[in-house]
Amino acid sequence: MSVIEYDVIVIGAGAAGLTAAAWLAEQKLRVALVTAGEPTACLSTGCIDVCSRSDQPLHGIAGLPDEHPFHRVSPETLKQALEDFRRMMADMDMPYEGTLEENRLVLSAIGTFKTTCLVPATMHASPQSDEEKIHLITFTGLKDFYPGYLLSRLRNASFSSYDAGVSTTMGIAAHFEDRAFLETFLLWLERQNIREDKIAFPAVLGLESSSFVLNQIESRLERPVFEIPTLPPSMPGRRLFNVMKDHLRRRGGVIYWNWPVVGVEKSGRQIEAVTTEAQGRPNSLNARAFILATGSFVGGGLYANRDRIVEKVFNLPVFAPENRDDWFEQDYFSMNHGIGQAGIPVDEAFCPQGSPWNNIFVCGSILARTETLKNGCGHGFAIATGRAAARSCLERLK
Amino acid sequence: MIKTDVIIIGGGATGCGIARDLALRGIPHCLIEKGDFAAGATGACHGLLHSGGRYAVSDPIAAKECFDENMILRRIGEKCVERTGGLFVRLPGDSKLFRERFLRSCDDIGIPTEILSSTKALELVPNLNPEIEEAIRVPDCSIDPFRLCLLNMKTSQMKGGLSFIRHRVTEIVQSHGRCIGVKATDAATGEVKEIHGNILVNASGAWADLVARLAGCEVPLTLSKGSLVITNHRLTDMVINRLRPSSDGDIIVPNEAVCLAGTTSLAVEDPDALSTQSAEVDAIISEAGRMIPHFNRARIIRAFSGVRPLLRSQKMDSREISRGFQIIDHQNGLYSIVGGKLTTFRLMAEKMVDTIMNAFNLKHDCETADQPLDGQEELSGYPLSKRLANMKNILCECELVSRGSVEKIIQETGTRHVGDISHRTRLGMGPCQGGFCTFRALGVMHDMEVLTAQQSMQSLREFLQRRFRGIRYALWGDQLREEQLVEYIYLGILAMEKTRERH
Ligand SMILES: Cc1cc2nc3c(=O)[nH]c(=O)nc-3n(C[C@H](O)[C@H](O)[C@H](O)COP(=O)(O)OP(=O)(O)OC[C@H]3O[C@@H](n4cnc5c(N)ncnc54)[C@H](O)[C@@H]3O)c2cc1C
Ligand SMILES: Cc1cc2nc3c(=O)[nH]c(=O)nc-3n(C[C@H](O)[C@H](O)[C@H](O)COP(=O)(O)OP(=O)(O)OC[C@H]3O[C@@H](n4cnc5c(N)ncnc54)[C@H](O)[C@@H]3O)c2cc1C
Repeated sequence: MSVIEYDVIVIGAGAAGLTAAAWLAEQKLRVALVTAGEPTACLSTGCIDVCSRSDQPLHGIAGLPDEHPFHRVSPETLKQALEDFRRMMADMDMPYEGTLEENRLVLSAIGTFKTTCLVPATMHASPQSDEEKIHLITFTGLKDFYPGYLLSRLRNASFSSYDAGVSTTMGIAAHFEDRAFLETFLLWLERQNIREDKIAFPAVLGLESSSFVLNQIESRLERPVFEIPTLPPSMPGRRLFNVMKDHLRRRGGVIYWNWPVVGVEKSGRQIEAVTTEAQGRPNSLNARAFILATGSFVGGGLYANRDRIVEKVFNLPVFAPENRDDWFEQDYFSMNHGIGQAGIPVDEAFCPQGSPWNNIFVCGSILARTETLKNGCGHGFAIATGRAAARSCLERLK
Repeated sequence: MIKTDVIIIGGGATGCGIARDLALRGIPHCLIEKGDFAAGATGACHGLLHSGGRYAVSDPIAAKECFDENMILRRIGEKCVERTGGLFVRLPGDSKLFRERFLRSCDDIGIPTEILSSTKALELVPNLNPEIEEAIRVPDCSIDPFRLCLLNMKTSQMKGGLSFIRHRVTEIVQSHGRCIGVKATDAATGEVKEIHGNILVNASGAWADLVARLAGCEVPLTLSKGSLVITNHRLTDMVINRLRPSSDGDIIVPNEAVCLAGTTSLAVEDPDALSTQSAEVDAIISEAGRMIPHFNRARIIRAFSGVRPLLRSQKMDSREISRGFQIIDHQNGLYSIVGGKLTTFRLMAEKMVDTIMNAFNLKHDCETADQPLDGQEELSGYPLSKRLANMKNILCECELVSRGSVEKIIQETGTRHVGDISHRTRLGMGPCQGGFCTFRALGVMHDMEVLTAQQSMQSLREFLQRRFRGIRYALWGDQLREEQLVEYIYLGILAMEKTRERH
C-alpha cells in the first residue's frame, strides 16, 4: 500500500470540488482531488445557475429560507468566486457572459426558456422572447434534438437540416473539430440563403474549438449564432468540466481519476486518510484536512436505502425527511419534493453538524436544504460554496 | 351513425377475445375501449398463464379451466407465451398438510406435478433461497398481455371488425326497453359517435357495474386492488409460487428482461382512483425476498396496481371469492361478462359468443381454440437478442427500440400517444422507464407532424405524471438516483415547468 501526504484532499470533481481544489492550490497548498468519475456538470447545459427563483440572483438568494446554506456564503465571497470563474474561463478561451445583477434566459430544446445567470459565449445570442426571427440548423437523424418542438413554439422560425452522417451529439461535435468538415459545412450553410436575424444550432459546435467554430460561422454568415443546450451527454457541460479540470492541473493540483473513496482512517477527532480503490489496488491518501464535494444523489455523495438516506464517504449525519413517503409529493411537477432537502447540515465554517470529526469541510449540492432544482441553485451555488469551504479550511490549517 | 351486429364495451383480454371469436364466426362487431387495449386489469396484471396450481386447492373448477386454457394458449399463441414452467416452493415453516392437499388436488384435476429436491430446484433457478425444503414443478407460463390483446384484435380487423380506442361509452341508447346502441366520446376531440347494434356486450371488467348502470341495470361486483413491483433484471427464468394458501407477494413471474412480483389484495370502491402504498411495496419485496433473496437488493423500476373484478359472494376475504366467471343476461339486449382471469379469457369469450349465437339463432361452432392467433408471423418472438438486428439509430436504449420501428407504428396507426408505441415496442419499459426515450418518441411524432406544440407538451406532461405514479412508491437506491437525473433533465435542462405560464 502506497502512502502519500497532502495538505488537503478534495473528494469529488464537480463544480464545487474543482473550485475548492483550484483555489487552495493557488494559495500554495499541496492539494489532491480524488474522484469516482465525472460530475453532473457533464450532464448540464453548461450555464451557471446561481439562484433562478427570481429575475435577480442576489434578490433570489436573499429570499431563500433562513436555514438555506447559501446564507453561509458572504456576498463578497460569492462575487469573488464568480469573478474568478469568469476570468478563468476567459483565459482558457471559453468565455462566459452575464452578471450577478440580473438573470437571463436561454432557449431550451423544447422551445421554453430556462432562467440562468452566466452563459457560455456560444449561448450569448440566445433569444429573450419567442418573437425573434430565427433560423434553426439541425442534423439529420440526431436523436436528442427535434426541431418540431421548437418550430411550433417560436413564432418566427424556420429550419434546414444537414446530413453529417452520425446521429449523436458527441459524433457531430467531433466532426466540428475537423477543419475540412467545417469548411464543407460552411459552404453548404452559405447556400441556404438564410434571411432570419439569428442562426440557432443544437449544442454540437465542437468540443475544444467551440469559440473558433462559432466565430467562423458568425463571420461567414454575418449574423449572431447561438447554441441550444441538448439532453446529456451535453457538449457545453463537458466543455465547462474540461476547462475547470485543466485549470486545476495548471495550478499544480493532482487529480486521482476513477478513484472512488471506499474507506477512511481516523484517529481521535481527526480523519487521517481516505482509502481508495483503483484497478483493485487499495491506496491510502493522507492529508491534514478533507473537503467533501461528492454531490447529491446523481453525483453519488448521497444514497437512499429503502429506509434511510446515507452519506457514502464518512457516513456523516444526514438531514432528510424521516419517512420514505415524504420523499416525494404526488405531483411530479411540484418542484417541492422533500428529497430535495436531503444532505449534510453544516455550521458557519462548512463543517458537518453533529459529527465527531473536526477536519472535514463540505460544499456543493450535498449540502442539506439546497433544493438545487426548486431554487435554481446549481453550478453557481457549487462554485460559491466550494470557494467558501476552501477558505474556511485554509483558516483552520493556518 | 355506425351500424353493426354486436357492440363490445371494453378492450381488455375479454373484450378482445370476444372480438376475435365473433370475427371467426362471421359476426360483424365493433369494440369500444376508453383507453388503449389492455388499459385495465389486463395490462396491470402479473402475466402469469396459470397452470391451475394456484387454485387447485381453493377452487378446483377454476383450476381445471386454467389448465385447459393454458394448454390451448401455448399452442395457438406461441409468440406471446413463454413456456417457462413454474415451481411451487415450500419454505421452512410452510404447512406440510397444504402440500399434501395441493398434490392430491392437482392429481384429481389432471395438472401434472413433479416433486423436486431443493438441490434440483436450485439447479433450475440458482437465485432461489437455498433454504427451501422442496419445490413442485407445474406447467405455468409467462404471457404478454399487450401482445395477446393486439393479436386477438388482428383477426377482428382482418375480418372487417371495427374498433375505437380512446372512446368512452358514455350513454347506452335504448328504445322500447331494449338496448340498441351506445354513444362513445372521443377522448382527444370530444366528438361523440353513435353506434347501433343488436346486442351489447359489457366486457368492461372492474367498470362493469358503472357501464351496466348506463342501461339501468346492475352488476354486483367486489373490487379488489392488487399491486405489483417490477425489477430491472430477470431474476428467475421460471415462474415461482409459494406453496401455501394464496397470500400477499407469493408469485414471481419473469417477463422479457424483467420480473414481476406480487400481489396484494385490498378492497377498493373506485376503479379509477388507484394508488400503491409504500407498505404494499415493502410487503411484496420482503415476501418475494423469502423465495428469491436477491429481491431485497434488486432495483425496483416500477410499482403499480390493478383491479380485479370479483363476483360478489358471501365470503368476506376478497381473495377467497371465486375467480370463475359469469355471464349476466340483463334481458334487454345487454349482456355483462365478469370475473374470470386473463388465463381463461378465451373460454370466457367462447361462452359469451355461444350465448350470442343462440340469441341470433345461428349455428357456427367456436374456432378460437384451433386456429393459431393471426399476425404472429410479423412478431420477432421472445428473445431480446432478435431485436438486435437492424439496431441503427436506437431511441430506447433500455429495450433496444429503433427510430425506424417507432416511425413505422406512427405511420400505420397514426397514433398521437406515446403509450401506444410503448405497448407495441416496449419503448420506455426498461430501467429508465421512458425518461430519455419519451422525449425522443414525441420528438419523432412532432417531426412527422402528427402533433401540435400544445399536444406534444401536453403528452409529455401527462406521460411524466403517469410515469411518476408508477415509480413513486418504488423510489430508492439506484432507481432514485436515475429519477433525480430524469427530473433535472425535464425540469432543469428543458425547463418544462415554464410551459404552464406561457400557454
Ligand atoms: C442532469 C443535470 C443537469 C444540470 N444542469 C445544470 C445547469 O444547466 N446549470 C446549473 O447551474 N446546474 C445544473 N445542474 C445542477 C448542478 O450540476 C449541480 O447542482 C452542481 O454542479 C453540483 O456540483 P457538485 O460539485 O456539488 O457535485 P457533482 O457535480 O454531483 O459531483 C460530484 C463528484 O463527486 C464524485 N464522487 C461521488 N462519490 C464519490 C466517492 N465516494 N469517491 C470519490 N468521488 C466521488 C463524483 O464522481 C463527481 O465527480 C444539473 C444537474 C443535473 C443532474
Ligand atoms: C394485480 C393483478 C394481477 C393479476 N394477475 C393475473 C395473472 O397473473 N394471470 C391471470 O390469468 N389473471 C391475472 N389477473 C386477473 C386478470 O388481470 C383479469 O381477470 C383480466 O385481465 C380481466 O380482463 P377484462 O378484459 O375482463 O378486464 P379489463 O382488462 O379490466 O378490461 C376492461 C376494459 O374496459 C374498459 N372500459 C371501462 N369502462 C369503459 C367505458 N365506459 N367505455 C369504454 N371502455 C371502458 C377499461 O378501460 C378496460 O380496458 C390479475 C389481476 C390483477 C388486478
